[in-house]
Amino acid sequence: MPKQWPLWVNLLNGGLYHEPNAIFHRKEDALAGCLLSCSASSIPVECAMVKPVCPVARTIDRLSGIISNGHLKNARCRQRAEEILKLMEDVASGRGGDEHIPAMESLARSLEKEGPEAACRDTGAMVSSILSEHREVFESHLKTQICPVTDCARLTPSPCQMACPAGIDVPSYVTLIAQGHDAEAIELIRKDNPFPWICGLICTNPCEFMCVRGRIDTPIAIKYLKGFAAERAMSDGLYRNPEKAPDNHRKVCIIGAGPAGLTAAYYLALKGYAVTVIDALPMAGGMMMVGIPRYRLPREVIDREVAIIEALGVEFRLNTRFGKDVSLDQLKAEGFEAFLVAIGAHGSYKLGIEGEGSYPGVIDAITLLRRVALGDRRKPGNRVAVLGGGNTAIDAARTCIRLGCEEVSIIYRRSRSDMPANEEEVQQAEEERVKFSFLTIPVEIKGEDGRITSLHCIRTELGLEDESGRRRPIPVEGSDFGVEVDAMIPAIGQTVDRNGFADLGDLKWSRRSTIGVNVASMETSMEGVFAAGDVVSGPATVVEAIGGGKRAADAIERYLSGIPQPKMPPVPVRRSRTGFIQVPASTKMSLHRPDMPTLNDERRRVTFQQVELGYSENSVREEARRCLRCDVCIRCGVCVDICRNKMGIDALQMGYLDFDHPYPTDLRTTAERCILCGACVANCPTGAMRMEEWGEERLLSLCGTVLNRLKMETCEMCGAVVGPARYHDFISKKIQGISQHLRDKVLCLECARKSTAESHAEMRPPKTFDL
Amino acid sequence: MTFRKRQKVEVYKRSKDESWQDYMDRYVGLRGVVTDPDTVKNDPDALIEVTLDKEGTHRFPQDCLRVVED
Repeated sequence: MPKQWPLWVNLLNGGLYHEPNAIFHRKEDALAGCLLSCSASSIPVECAMVKPVCPVARTIDRLSGIISNGHLKNARCRQRAEEILKLMEDVASGRGGDEHIPAMESLARSLEKEGPEAACRDTGAMVSSILSEHREVFESHLKTQICPVTDCARLTPSPCQMACPAGIDVPSYVTLIAQGHDAEAIELIRKDNPFPWICGLICTNPCEFMCVRGRIDTPIAIKYLKGFAAERAMSDGLYRNPEKAPDNHRKVCIIGAGPAGLTAAYYLALKGYAVTVIDALPMAGGMMMVGIPRYRLPREVIDREVAIIEALGVEFRLNTRFGKDVSLDQLKAEGFEAFLVAIGAHGSYKLGIEGEGSYPGVIDAITLLRRVALGDRRKPGNRVAVLGGGNTAIDAARTCIRLGCEEVSIIYRRSRSDMPANEEEVQQAEEERVKFSFLTIPVEIKGEDGRITSLHCIRTELGLEDESGRRRPIPVEGSDFGVEVDAMIPAIGQTVDRNGFADLGDLKWSRRSTIGVNVASMETSMEGVFAAGDVVSGPATVVEAIGGGKRAADAIERYLSGIPQPKMPPVPVRRSRTGFIQVPASTKMSLHRPDMPTLNDERRRVTFQQVELGYSENSVREEARRCLRCDVCIRCGVCVDICRNKMGIDALQMGYLDFDHPYPTDLRTTAERCILCGACVANCPTGAMRMEEWGEERLLSLCGTVLNRLKMETCEMCGAVVGPARYHDFISKKIQGISQHLRDKVLCLECARKSTAESHAEMRPPKTFDL
Repeated sequence: MTFRKRQKVEVYKRSKDESWQDYMDRYVGLRGVVTDPDTVKNDPDALIEVTLDKEGTHRFPQDCLRVVED
């Protein structure tokens, strides 16, 4: 039986996980994460890997070992190695600068070349080799202040920032908002996302799904805080562009003025490129403008944020359709050197039922929303049937209500619980008196004189589960019936409209009819042509399009500068190290996420006014103070472990530290047991736990949340300040077997030593010394 | 299998779908939360948005995902 090597999987997600059913027969294959054989593989494992180790952290470990083990006998060598170690630690803790890598290289070279002993030369060669092989990782640490492998504790990113497709430094801006610095918060957000106001209203907020506060009670209302800050900064006239780089006279053309295109335009313009955006629509904004109804995203919000981008010198050519009004060759002839295709997914799928193409009263949801957004407020009919169960169907139905349609019904072939639309959207539609007809399939549109008169439907019942895991709707024989309607709106999915791209034969399209790209760089199969947004992903979210646009801008700059493209999506950047806000634990626990006030139902039925009215200022500041600052506290659990297992106190009830199995958290209970010994602080790898002395009190805080505060006692003998009584009691109990003499006395260390020495002197000396 | 918002999922294998990119290999075995499923018709063939713990937000083909907790 050959020796077997176990496979370790899931290593990036919180430590090692041994997969017992997967065995490698060669160690190097296991280490390379290359699955050779999987014995008794009841658990499907098709790919696995060994946890990547951060070269910065690994070098620090190795250098520390070399120095502390005394391998470097020569004092000069040891000093240089210590200097390298210090510089490495700066890189790993966010204190490094541009000079750090050259300085380390120089020191390593001198060790390697001038070292009088082999250990010195080997150490120098080791450092030189690591710096050469992993230079981009060191540079990334310095540039982004983030260690994506999370080995460098102080550079571990917060879950909310990692979750954001645009990589916004969420904890920093939330803290700025808590402090009332709205304009600074917006300035910080716009380093990663040029649309904080728009995203503050309509973002799908993946950050909130990962918000650690959600493991305690409810996630921080990150989206609404951003929306408030943007509105306030705009209102105060403090929403401004940063200074742009001097013009470099290189031209980039962006096809599509949606979120991806505009984001790329913003970041390229900031870098000095001459950017022109062309769009088939008469206004900029893309799907944000014509796909999202005004009651969710007012036009003024889009116009104002687009105007800020235009102010950077970006040229807009609206009402210009690519492939019809202008061709790629014409644009190249104008001097454009790179192109970004960001045309979105504005096409619609067809229902495929009889009568669909026969009546003008059949209008797909995307077309209806676009028509209304462009100013046509005529209602499509009085009795409207919307077909579909998704968010677009809900948007179309709610829009029809506002246009004055007398009766609006959503017809869906499955049950309510199967609807793919967001529950909140469905509820709001119900509040606005949209009707729902579940378990119903349309089979034919009937009409007279070119007008729809009814929709012929059939009832369904849910049968066995299909391959998608949902129960298949089965038509019930003889259950067909007619619904009297005069307009019908299919809302069964969007697709990319490829019209105009026929001449770009080299452009590779996917089987989903989207443009195939390398997602890390957004490069297409055509040189100099990049793509981003829904045209790449299919219908997706605004913030994903923004993230794609940002990646594309970076890739276009690399392309025009002759720099190689990245192999991985970018690592988010820590934009600030904002100080903590001191909040008592009781306040931290008792603050609750406020409900969003909304427009009353009647007003919602007759106007396109914004439904969500926004938080009050007081609510915003309070809500921002609930943030746990996960950019500093990395939830390693060392504090809990030390307190419970080493000190035996167990004062930290922080169940939220566990992602998979969070248990209850109550930061208030710390004050009941904590003795303020400081063991948690001494072992905290990031400085999240702090102990401070304020006047006569000692405070323990976690990222600003005051967990405990106790009055200090003074030494009975010399009057020096010693720890709190609870701490003294704890120590007294521990040493009562050693020194009975010190019981019930409050003494500082020095006086305790003196007192113990005196008491020993009073004792009878041991017999051997008895003369 | 169709996915819904807020479901905890695991990237349990490499997908054979053309949208799978090489760098995604490192995500196999990781867990995350569905943040944007197909909200139009729950198309099993659509790419859906999953936010992985510590590894960011990505669009994955659904054949490489499985629900680990509702």
